[in-house]
Amino acid sequence: MLARDTPDPLMNVEERDGGAPARAAAQSVDASDRDAVSTLAREEAPLVELAGLAYTYEGERSPVLEGISLTVTSGEFVLILGPSGCGKSTLMQVMNGTVPHALRGRLEGSAVVCGREVASAKVTSFATEVGMVFQDPEAQIINIRVRDEVTFGLENLRRPVDEILARQAEALTFVGLGDAGDRSIFDMSGGQKQRVSIAAVLAARPRLLVLDEPTANLDPAGMAEVFAVLERLNKQYGTTILMVEHRVDELADKVSRVIMMDQGRILFDGSPRAAFSRSREAHSEETEIVPTSAWFPQASEFALELSRARGRELSAESTPLNVSEAAAFAERAIAELASQSRTPPAAIAAAAVTHEPGKPLVQIRNLSFGYVRDKPILKRVSFDLAANAIVALLGRNGSGKTTLARNLIGINPPPKGAILLGGKDLSELGPKEISETVGYVFQNPDHQFVTDRIDDEVAYGLRVRDYSGEAIEQRVTEVLETVDLARYRHRSPFSLSLGERRRLSVATMLVLEPRLLVLDEPTIGQDYERAQQLMKLMVRLRERYGTTVLMITHDVRLVAEWAERALVLDAGELVFDGAPEDLFGRHSLLAATGLLQPPIFELSATLSARHPDRVPAATLSVPSLVASLVA
Amino acid sequence: MSRATVFQFRAGTSVFHRLDPMTKFAWLLSISLLAFGAYIAWIQILITLIVLFTAMILARLSPGEIWRGTWLFLIACTSFFLIQTLTLPGSLKLFTILGKPIYAESADYALASALRIYTIILSSLVFVRTTDPRELAISLVTQAGIPYRIAYAFFIALRIIPTIEEEIKIIQSAQAVRGVAKQRGLSGRIKDMKRYAMPLLVGSLRRASIMVMSMESRAFGAYPTRTFLDPPKMGLGGRLFCAGMVAAVIGWYAALLFGLVHTVYVFAPK
Repeated sequence: MLARDTPDPLMNVEERDGGAPARAAAQSVDASDRDAVSTLAREEAPLVELAGLAYTYEGERSPVLEGISLTVTSGEFVLILGPSGCGKSTLMQVMNGTVPHALRGRLEGSAVVCGREVASAKVTSFATEVGMVFQDPEAQIINIRVRDEVTFGLENLRRPVDEILARQAEALTFVGLGDAGDRSIFDMSGGQKQRVSIAAVLAARPRLLVLDEPTANLDPAGMAEVFAVLERLNKQYGTTILMVEHRVDELADKVSRVIMMDQGRILFDGSPRAAFSRSREAHSEETEIVPTSAWFPQASEFALELSRARGRELSAESTPLNVSEAAAFAERAIAELASQSRTPPAAIAAAAVTHEPGKPLVQIRNLSFGYVRDKPILKRVSFDLAANAIVALLGRNGSGKTTLARNLIGINPPPKGAILLGGKDLSELGPKEISETVGYVFQNPDHQFVTDRIDDEVAYGLRVRDYSGEAIEQRVTEVLETVDLARYRHRSPFSLSLGERRRLSVATMLVLEPRLLVLDEPTIGQDYERAQQLMKLMVRLRERYGTTVLMITHDVRLVAEWAERALVLDAGELVFDGAPEDLFGRHSLLAATGLLQPPIFELSATLSARHPDRVPAATLSVPSLVASLVA
Repeated sequence: MSRATVFQFRAGTSVFHRLDPMTKFAWLLSISLLAFGAYIAWIQILITLIVLFTAMILARLSPGEIWRGTWLFLIACTSFFLIQTLTLPGSLKLFTILGKPIYAESADYALASALRIYTIILSSLVFVRTTDPRELAISLVTQAGIPYRIAYAFFIALRIIPTIEEEIKIIQSAQAVRGVAKQRGLSGRIKDMKRYAMPLLVGSLRRASIMVMSMESRAFGAYPTRTFLDPPKMGLGGRLFCAGMVAAVIGWYAALLFGLVHTVYVFAPK
């Protein structure tokens, strides 16, 4: 925590609050000590005390939060998980009174944050206590220049100029942007923008940092930058952090506590090990077991699966939270299994890539493209796409992925002869002809809606193509059932939840049975269950129509689990085209393109190096690694 | 996909970038007042040349940037010039097109009107391109005494225009993929707008609500005043510049009032 009135710019909160030993404890924390720290921190004065909290938005009948009781003390790092629409963002907004003051509604129960009663304190009065960071860097940034953004809060607080300058420098240095004060925020990468947002709230030295999916729009490199800053704030300076985030693989061993929510209630509240030792099930207050659709770390998933395969119960304390812990867990299992007789396993062959013989669906030859002359975004990109495949397109933010995908649909007109679609030059095809073959699901589903009703929305593409009324009705019904939206068919698209709107935008493309479907970041902001549903839908589409799915993504787990081929762009050049298992084995390429290995791949590589007879390298899924271990 | 919007502030080190916002605002106002003085072509040509000089030398805008920022208006102004030249009455005949006489007075008047519009657009481009909206907002508070909440509302409106433009482009692309063809004519344009409106409204409301949350959570509006770090000040150069502009405007209107300015036809008959 950045200090208030001492020469030490990074004095932590416990020093201010009476010198409790949380910093010393936090500094020595490693993943295995986290639970103890959590207990220690809880003995201190609470920063957040919620009791029987319920909240109903103005004009709504059912509450978005119900029966929430929660105490958070100094130095805790709390991760909040739950499906889309479960009330986690609303809970975050209670922390500085945005709920109920800015987003109006009925607040019941008691909410005290940093000693202030939320119901009666103004939002602005929390400015020096609670720092809020939101998902979308573009929307929360007010200014254009970095240093103006960082000083914004202090200027509002009427601090003296000297103090503002000193704190601005401290905050920017802390997030590693000490020399970026004069840069335009809009020329920065996503990770840098979010670090500016963090610096902007740190400058006011809040006691509590509240973050709502701060890395959802970032590439893995940007995500790592943000998490590193948060970990340092929490471990070294004892800053209390409350964070909603789906990316659990990189976070599980950094947080001290996990809260799982569903339908406005807290279903689980405990240590990360306890949280991830029960697969997608959680205890509600009434000790009922309920499923949760939160993402789980792959390291924990692996331990759960391995324990299940061996007919054992996984205890909370032995649940691994990262790859090295999972490797140690696997080693113990291997040692036990070695004492039992076993037959050597047959090597598990990597998923065979099947290309349909004959003419490829798409041929790209030396494609160069830019919006401004002399500034090409894509440089001499060449590859083919066969029919009936799931292909991932990866690369940093700004590497040209979206530009390339837009060339494929003709939004960006490609140069003559650079793209052949089914053997025809795409530059000579009209929008209607292209959209008969290629579908494109945008990242923000709202952008693609053109009518006021869900069934009209799905029917639109067919009407444009002059299908008969009967055929339209039949196909719309079929597709709406496929995406599980038939019951809402007369409602407005904008009345659906985000996950449903995304399924609807997929449905509008599905109905045209495209041969190539481009998905832009299919899992952003999606909970585990919905992301799985969407990908299963893609598999069905592929099986049924032989469609090729090209997904633009940063999600390496998604690539490992679903894609059979990966294309990687770096500064507009195609630097990799091959199987995901080959990609994840190339360390220097991953580092250069800001990508990470999926935890399960890293784990299998570690184990394979030690036990080549038992673990084949390049395993991309939890079940196949578990199968090779217990075989 | 990001194409920089031309009508948007870009940081730079040109003379105009270094001037304070109020001086630049005074320049913009003066140019507009000068341009509105009279429909005299040679005067308008002179003003246009001055603004072009300012744009290219003092604000360091490249010819390409000027073209990208004003081409639409240039086409509109050219059409305006041609239509007026062909339709306005006059007495000094220049030549005849398809039996229709073209008069010196109408050509001159049409040129003056077209250049006047172009000059104002070009000077606005120079102003927007070289003035940080935040500095302009701060100047409004510290130099013009406007309450900071109002000045910031103005700043944020300027700041989000490019974002909204970008979003409209994305919505257009997203809907084009659905097979929505761009409509022609006025009724088609209205239909287009109706379709874009809902996604744009939903997106803008969401963004506005996050922006409000982000501002309030950083104490915006907590006090009636706020500190401004390094507020722009009108230096000696700025003051001299403003004095020069005021003198030019007063001189110009005085000259008009006393009948000292005479029309010299640019399109004079031989």
